[in-house]
Amino acid sequence: MNRSGAKIVMEALVREGVDTIFGYPGGVVLPLYDEMLNWPQVRHVLVRHEQCAAHMADGYARATGKVGVCLATSGPGATNLVTGIATAIMDGIPMVAITGNVNSWAIGKDAFQETDIQGITIPITKHNYLVTDINELPQVLAEAFYLANSGRKGPVLVDIPKDVFTAMSEAPFPDTIVRRGYKPAGAPARAEIEVAARLISEAQRPVIIAGAGILHAQAMAELLYLAETTKIPVINSLLGLGSFPRDHELSLGMMGMHGEAAGTLAVQEADLVIGLGNRFDDRLTGNTGGFAPKAKILHFDLDPSEIGKTVNPVAWVLGDLKLSLGELNKLIQPSEHPAWMAQIRVWQTQFPLIVPEGRFPTRTVLKGLNDVTHGNAIVATDVGQHQMWTAQFYKMKKPMSWLSSGGLGTMGYGFPAAMGAKFARPDEEVWAVVGDGGFQMTLQELQTAVEYNCNVKICLINNGFLGMVRQWQELFYDNRHSHVAMGSPDFCKLADAYGVKFFRCSRLEDLEATLKGASDHVGPVLCEFVVEMEENVFPMVGPGATNSALVMDPDLIPSEEAHQLGAFETTHAGAVKS
Amino acid sequence: MSAKHHTITALVQNEAGTINRLVSLFRRRGFSLASFNAGDCEDPGFSRLTFIVDGDDATISQCLKQLDKLIDVVECEDLPKESSVQRELALIRVEPTEDQRQSLYNIVNEFIARTPRSTPTCVVVEQVADVYDIERLIEALRPFNITEIVRTGVVAMKVEG
Ligand SMILES: Cc1ncc(C[n+]2csc(CCOP(=O)(O)OP(=O)(O)O)c2C)c(N)n1
Repeated sequence: MNRSGAKIVMEALVREGVDTIFGYPGGVVLPLYDEMLNWPQVRHVLVRHEQCAAHMADGYARATGKVGVCLATSGPGATNLVTGIATAIMDGIPMVAITGNVNSWAIGKDAFQETDIQGITIPITKHNYLVTDINELPQVLAEAFYLANSGRKGPVLVDIPKDVFTAMSEAPFPDTIVRRGYKPAGAPARAEIEVAARLISEAQRPVIIAGAGILHAQAMAELLYLAETTKIPVINSLLGLGSFPRDHELSLGMMGMHGEAAGTLAVQEADLVIGLGNRFDDRLTGNTGGFAPKAKILHFDLDPSEIGKTVNPVAWVLGDLKLSLGELNKLIQPSEHPAWMAQIRVWQTQFPLIVPEGRFPTRTVLKGLNDVTHGNAIVATDVGQHQMWTAQFYKMKKPMSWLSSGGLGTMGYGFPAAMGAKFARPDEEVWAVVGDGGFQMTLQELQTAVEYNCNVKICLINNGFLGMVRQWQELFYDNRHSHVAMGSPDFCKLADAYGVKFFRCSRLEDLEATLKGASDHVGPVLCEFVVEMEENVFPMVGPGATNSALVMDPDLIPSEEAHQLGAFETTHAGAVKS
Repeated sequence: MSAKHHTITALVQNEAGTINRLVSLFRRRGFSLASFNAGDCEDPGFSRLTFIVDGDDATISQCLKQLDKLIDVVECEDLPKESSVQRELALIRVEPTEDQRQSLYNIVNEFIARTPRSTPTCVVVEQVADVYDIERLIEALRPFNITEIVRTGVVAMKVEG
């Protein structure tokens, strides 16, 4: 059937099961916006800034595992997507970004609002396309969705000139997609699985680092079986949180620069580190020269380029994690590591995460959030101290309910990502935990939330600082504050101006009532917590330091019992400067 | 040419942006690219590229994996000298004095090079050879006043067995 390029785009969305897209119109996408009116089954959310369209699509994808779709016009519309696309590629988030471009005959002539968005996004997309022939559009769109959500997932951008939206074509959508250069990982090699099983059976002090790959592959059950059968403790990377139950006795929480001490120390003492769908990035490994010095590394991933990229594994298993772990689980034998677990328990008792009493630090709020929601809410964070504390204290009960920009560390991400999650899963309670700095990067979306009655709860941590940067200035620059004190508007008036329900809380006594009030309110809520200003995140591995030089919370008084058991030598906060 | 030089060939599906995407990978990930060459191949819609890359084994292995990860790349490999034919074409323009002409032609013959064009003032020497021979020829031509050199970069083909 002969139909326009605009109609082909809408057909593609419906074929792919897309119910919601996030976008912003402009000159060259007018034909598509006009066509959209004929397709009520696809909801379009009109954002206030294209960056947030990309973050919402990202949040939608993280909360569902489906492809998130964002849409922008040429030139500034397209370039505004860039931060959101870069955020998505770093964390392997399935996304299709559709941009309009100037008429194909005008490309290259510096036409009004022309920009080379294909060229700009080459390094930050899994793949991208400029479609100049209408007959290729169905194939390209089908491919874009397939690439975005298969293999190692990621954003795919499709740039469509205005005249291609209006041109007509009978070209059908393909039934299957074959690209000679694309072979997403499948089942693992038997020999690799056998080596892995042998290494696991030989290990005395094994530990698993579970990354986001477990979530992408939906291999949570396989991970649980592996851990429970072999009694190997599980540590998560920041993005792997949610892939293993945090209240499980084998869970050691998160590791990394601000990870929980027991997990970080366990990796340093382990004789086998099993990386499952994680990428051993520098925030997790610390200085790689001193990472897991006593361990053999066994790495499972679907992306060959991850093997040996930052650390040198002795063995690896390439393949889809669900299949790989499924095969591995057939070979493993039940085991116990009592001495090893006892050592880990000592660290856990000696170096617990603490929440100081008698004050009102951010940790109190985030622990409170966990208590009030029982870990059942979807939580998106922004970037900074509050992000690390949320990772430490929010014990999410379910997978796909933790949204955080781990790879790019994009301030401004949290609030729009939470909205994307809420649009995708309206029946879930959704919280955005944001700092006063990051919130001011994307708070214009309050209007979007109000218009669509997007019932997101914003937990705004107001410490009057760009907290994480202030912490680094305190620890590494002699506490010389350079441009980190951050003024804010009166958030009460701001919420009022947008017509958003507002709460402010500055004392422990009001915490629970505030959180519950926000939770019970139907509609978007801005909850401002005026917290202690100069609180630091611990434990901390200083930049460039090895994980053994973990710096503990100065407020931590190690328990007598732990002392007697003879524990690890670690540094106290004062020593981090040297 | 240092021992660290590697010859990588890639078969790629050609679309808008493909060459840009491949070359930008080298810049973005800090792989050191000495030369590259792209051209049509036996499959319509596909191209074969040859990259000369400097690096130790770990770097080259990571480079191959990153190339292979690109959707456009069908296959790529690091070609050892022994099992490949590697050739480059060079055009070298010299402007010899009248007295030098005869010895110039002697050298050209010795190297089995060609002179597709000569004028009263200049001679264009053309050579197709491996990189070492081309560099030897260039050295031999230095006394004849080289005024321009154009090189294609290496193209390489795997020959099994
Ligand atoms: C877009 C962007 N710009 C700058 C940074 C660097 N940065 C990392 S954390 C941080 C401070 C964040 O402050 P705030 O949002 O108030 O959160 P807090 O650390 O106080 O919890 C900054 C500036 C960043 N991550 N992203």
